[in-house]
Amino acid sequence: MKRHRAVILFFMTMSAMLITVDSAWAMHISEGILPFSWAVLWAVMSLPFLAWGMRDLRERSRREPHLKAFVGLVGAGVFVISCMPIPVPTAGTCSHPCGTGMAAILIGPFLSAVVASVALTLQALFLAHGGLTTLGANIFAMGVVGSFAGYGAFRLTRGLGASPFAAAFCAGLLADWATYATTSLTLTLALHGDGSFWSMLVSILLAFVPTQVPLGILEGVISGIAYGFVHARRPEILGALVKGEVS
Amino acid sequence: MFDLFSDIFARSDNALTRVDTRVKLIIALSAIVAVMFSSRGVLPLGICVLCIWVMLALGLPLRIVILRLAGPLGIAVVLVVLQGFFTKGSPVFQLTVLGTDIAATREGLWKGTLLASRVLGSMSVVMLLGAVTPAYKVFHALRWWGVPESWVEIALLVYRYTFVLLDQAADVAEAQRVRLGYSSLRRSLDSVGILAGTVITRSLEQAMRTHEAMVLRGYDGGICFGPLPGIAVQDRRCLVVALPALFAVYALIEWWPM
Repeated sequence: MKRHRAVILFFMTMSAMLITVDSAWAMHISEGILPFSWAVLWAVMSLPFLAWGMRDLRERSRREPHLKAFVGLVGAGVFVISCMPIPVPTAGTCSHPCGTGMAAILIGPFLSAVVASVALTLQALFLAHGGLTTLGANIFAMGVVGSFAGYGAFRLTRGLGASPFAAAFCAGLLADWATYATTSLTLTLALHGDGSFWSMLVSILLAFVPTQVPLGILEGVISGIAYGFVHARRPEILGALVKGEVS
Repeated sequence: MFDLFSDIFARSDNALTRVDTRVKLIIALSAIVAVMFSSRGVLPLGICVLCIWVMLALGLPLRIVILRLAGPLGIAVVLVVLQGFFTKGSPVFQLTVLGTDIAATREGLWKGTLLASRVLGSMSVVMLLGAVTPAYKVFHALRWWGVPESWVEIALLVYRYTFVLLDQAADVAEAQRVRLGYSSLRRSLDSVGILAGTVITRSLEQAMRTHEAMVLRGYDGGICFGPLPGIAVQDRRCLVVALPALFAVYALIEWWPM
């Protein structure tokens, strides 16, 4: 009975999605959805990662004076990439990659979290995408979990001898899926109220599946091709970015 | 994308763009907090209507307002559906789908409508803030709130180069399109990947050149922002009028007997 209910709610949610625009289901949590206490909690949880990222930036930019310009431009690159609409045939709409997996393998996960915080602030202010009070939750999902999942997948697969394409594919895929899973969890924790936590979590996860499963694969493929392209054409750039650690 | 993202409207001269950014941020955040704590949909929806009206009165094109509102509206619809069918309570109507009865509850629909109104109310406040304040002013004002200067520096760099890279990405995509780079799914994937790779490569080349240019102009690893000026008297007056007015409206709506 519960499974039936979840399936029906999934179809109803999907119907609601399809009559609205695609951007509604991009991965950022909109302004006003999270209660104040949850908004503060996620902001507090994101702060240590941002503080570490800022410390990382200060220390590395003493040794590599061009790093700030690098990070700013990688941030802009991520922002541009995350603005590229990609068709998702199963949903009949478009969505966009999150880009933090790629950023994390280029500049490291902590700096990627900093870059994500800037991109999310810009998107909240000028694209009505995300929000100011939900910035903490969105930074945690996309900047922290997405970056670390992508970076971890990349390091692990490279360590196991995978090709640059395969490793970057895994990074893009896992960063995207980890971000969507965290966003679903954040929404469920805040919204389930006196209803069932698990059935709402399953419903939200299922509602994301038609867009995020193909999108994650697409993001993985695009990350793989993009990283493979840079690796083949300009390997010295990657060496300059992370001092030869990622190559 | 340029129209949607650009803060060109925030650079025009009007009564709201002239107000100190710190004051606007305080008022906007207070309005968002009031919306988040409101237990009735009247205040959030009222603020939403007011913000849309102000944006249109300031000359923001209707198309941009609708495009920016489309996302929050979609979220509002989904919230009403999810809450309506997930919250326990007294059933209002029942649907039979795939042989299973599911009921929307009065409490769920009420909660969903309240959440949806909060989303619309607070998003419209942020939209109005973005429509009357250029990004660089917001970032500078954030220093007043204790945000580290190196974060502000990165934010300004990201903001500056976003437009450059959007331009570059559009050029590369156009070149790929005329070479039939998007004629099949396989070619589209390759093209998008190469586009992303090209954007990254160009970003880094541009970073090298930018750094050299900045060093030639005296850059030594950090932008010297200098102290923030004090808030002007007329802007303080704005704050003194707006905050009590907001609180009074909030209190009136919250505690008015239904």
